[in-house]
Amino acid sequence: MIRYLIRRMLALIPVALGVATLTFALIHLVPGDPVVAMLGDTAAPADLAGMRHQLGLDRPLAVQYATFIAGLAHGDLGESISYRQPVARLIAERFPATLELAGAGLLVAVLIAFPLGFIAGANPGSAGDVGAMGFAILGISVPHIYLGPLLMILFSLDLRWFPLTGRGGLAHLVLPAVTLGTALAAIIARMLRQSLIAVRASDYMRTALSKGLSPTAALLRHGLRNALTSVVTLLGLQLGGLLTGALIVEMIFSWPGLGRMLIAAISARDYPLVEGCVLTFALSYVVVNMTTDFVYAMVDPRVSLK
Amino acid sequence: MKRGRVRTGAIAIALCAIVASACARPVRERAPGTIQVDIESSPTSTDPRFATDAISSRVNELVFDSLVKVSRDGEFAGDLAERIERPDPTTIIFHLKHGVRFGDGRELTARDVKFTYDSILAPGSMSAKRAGMIELASVTAPDDYTVTMTTRHPYAPALEIAMQGIVPAGTPLPARSTASAPPGSGPFAMLSYRRDESVTLVRNPHHAAPPGAAREILFKVVPDPTVRALELAEGICGLSENNIEAAVLPWLADHKALEISNTPGTTYKYLAFNFRDPRLRDLRVRRAIAYSIDRAAIVNSMLRGTARVATGMLAPESWAYDGNAVSYGYDPAAARRLLDEAGYRADAGGMRNLRFEYKTTPEGARLAEVFQAMLKRVGITLDVRTLEWATYYGDIQRGNFQLTSLQWVGIEDPNYYYMVFDSAMAPPHGSTNRGYYSNTEMDALVEAGQRTIDPAARKEIYARVQQLAADDLPYVSLWWVNTVAVLNRDLGGFDPYPNGSLRSLAQVTLVTPGGAEPAQ
Repeated sequence: MIRYLIRRMLALIPVALGVATLTFALIHLVPGDPVVAMLGDTAAPADLAGMRHQLGLDRPLAVQYATFIAGLAHGDLGESISYRQPVARLIAERFPATLELAGAGLLVAVLIAFPLGFIAGANPGSAGDVGAMGFAILGISVPHIYLGPLLMILFSLDLRWFPLTGRGGLAHLVLPAVTLGTALAAIIARMLRQSLIAVRASDYMRTALSKGLSPTAALLRHGLRNALTSVVTLLGLQLGGLLTGALIVEMIFSWPGLGRMLIAAISARDYPLVEGCVLTFALSYVVVNMTTDFVYAMVDPRVSLK
Repeated sequence: MKRGRVRTGAIAIALCAIVASACARPVRERAPGTIQVDIESSPTSTDPRFATDAISSRVNELVFDSLVKVSRDGEFAGDLAERIERPDPTTIIFHLKHGVRFGDGRELTARDVKFTYDSILAPGSMSAKRAGMIELASVTAPDDYTVTMTTRHPYAPALEIAMQGIVPAGTPLPARSTASAPPGSGPFAMLSYRRDESVTLVRNPHHAAPPGAAREILFKVVPDPTVRALELAEGICGLSENNIEAAVLPWLADHKALEISNTPGTTYKYLAFNFRDPRLRDLRVRRAIAYSIDRAAIVNSMLRGTARVATGMLAPESWAYDGNAVSYGYDPAAARRLLDEAGYRADAGGMRNLRFEYKTTPEGARLAEVFQAMLKRVGITLDVRTLEWATYYGDIQRGNFQLTSLQWVGIEDPNYYYMVFDSAMAPPHGSTNRGYYSNTEMDALVEAGQRTIDPAARKEIYARVQQLAADDLPYVSLWWVNTVAVLNRDLGGFDPYPNGSLRSLAQVTLVTPGGAEPAQ
């Protein structure tokens, strides 16, 4: 287990290097000038040149890349061009808000998906199944950009239950989390339904029923755990998507997270900040998938980590 | 075992209910005496020596006084200066008001004014404002209440330079962080600045405020236009100016608590041609394009009356406006005739061998589609290319476009004509004559307009400039954008400026019970 963990941690290095290189190349390939974004297009050419020199943007691209990678090796992500602050500090300030939103989105997804998936999987073809899967189709189909304002109108404007925007207490988290988690809930519910239907036909379920357990109890005690293996895999894959999906939700709800900062950084061509944010998202994705492997092993004893 | 699970489930449901009830609380409170103003993006700098974007300017002019300000009527008026003299064409003397104090209690003197300008003009300042002050030779402070500004040449728009916000002497350059703002002498002081989130201003204790005036202004960054509208409807936001979509205005108008003001503005929207394209150098093609765009229809339907069809860069309210310039109404027949004359004959389907690329941003995509449809009626094909803002703007600055549409915000002095049509301002030396327009008569006129101090003579020069611009058509004038403010009826005394300035927030009073500030 420890050796597996070390191996996976070491694998993070080439992943980080690859992501960093790709991000560096892409952001430098697209047109746009951070210095013009910063000083404005009426700035004197000498000032633009001076600022480019000060930021090191007049050096050959290879030198800029080498400096970036060398900094990265020392844990230094550089300094943001637009904020004039260390990128690592900015990410440390904003990432907790994104994690909070993604975590809450995941919780909402699980809280909605498990009952729905179970109802649908336990009684396929029933009214409950049709209703649950109807919700699932709706959840997948409605984009964040539409669902968010819809929830705002209903729960904030009409019912006045939750605040409209911003980050504060638990009340501020509800609508963004529901917006973010609904699509994932729909996916998980469908997956859980399929898995439960599959396990219902297995031998051990027949044995459980023959021992006198009710179908629901048999499904809860014996079927659910087996059905969860595929759901856990899906959760791992989708949590990464949840982090990046937070980009849109953060914009809608004025949530001060990393995604919103990344969008502003792209507009300002703030190279170090874009690189830092993308790297953070990418590494989070890898870490989440690694964690999923561990959870997978816990849920399914047949799986061993070597 | 079974009973235990039931109990666990019951506890879980009870916990969820507690959490839900904790969340479900009334959330419409607003801090007493505070006005929330929603803005679409964050100010880039809290130091007036560096801020050039419109939102920073709007916020900073509430915190920092300047020697002069533009009044609501578009005239220069003394702000810190109680009297202005112009003894010769290159000298302006400003006599400062006595007793003006910064937020920290220090008195503002001529020394602070000189310091502010010197720190911008210093070669290492990296201020974007340096380029706009290139004509400024020196700023001296003969005594505590007199500032003398000298220009290198006679420079008519010199008072524009005097609109610079003043910071206390010794204020360091914001080299490391933009988070802390220097104190200003304006009606408000900056309490907090959280980039991409909010800016909070509080009353400057050393600046008189009218009775009942708001104590605090919270500028909240709300990037989504729908959410800005919802915040207005909800009553959370007190004011939103020039950032509400026209399509949402009728819905907001149905809210009794809201008031919508639609004031004629000085922001100029135009369609630009790139003169490096030989087909667009042909005046007949440019005129045909002008005749094929139904600007009145766009203003009335798509913009829902939040603009006025423009005849040139200067709005009728400007002292230099000339009403005799040629105007291009919607006339597709004239457009077809001009294109025929230029040799671009229509085929059987009515289309011509004339295809242009129109670059825009996602926000401008709908307008691009309208242009595309209108030009198709006269046989011109428009390929719309939608780009993310920074990519788009980079292309425009380098002159890498054929057709595009942009706007100049809050045009006051006609010297804008020099900026955008003088051949010296084309890339790579300049970046504001983006279409590489070059006309020796225009160059001579706009340069003369810059050097002529006498207002009457200057007005004559700019009358000819406007006629020439209308004849030669480097831009198709589209419309002047109105200043559209949506505000809560709780706010009294807000007076929108044609240039979008929010200066009247200093006079706004709150009529909500418990929201008013006691008289000072």
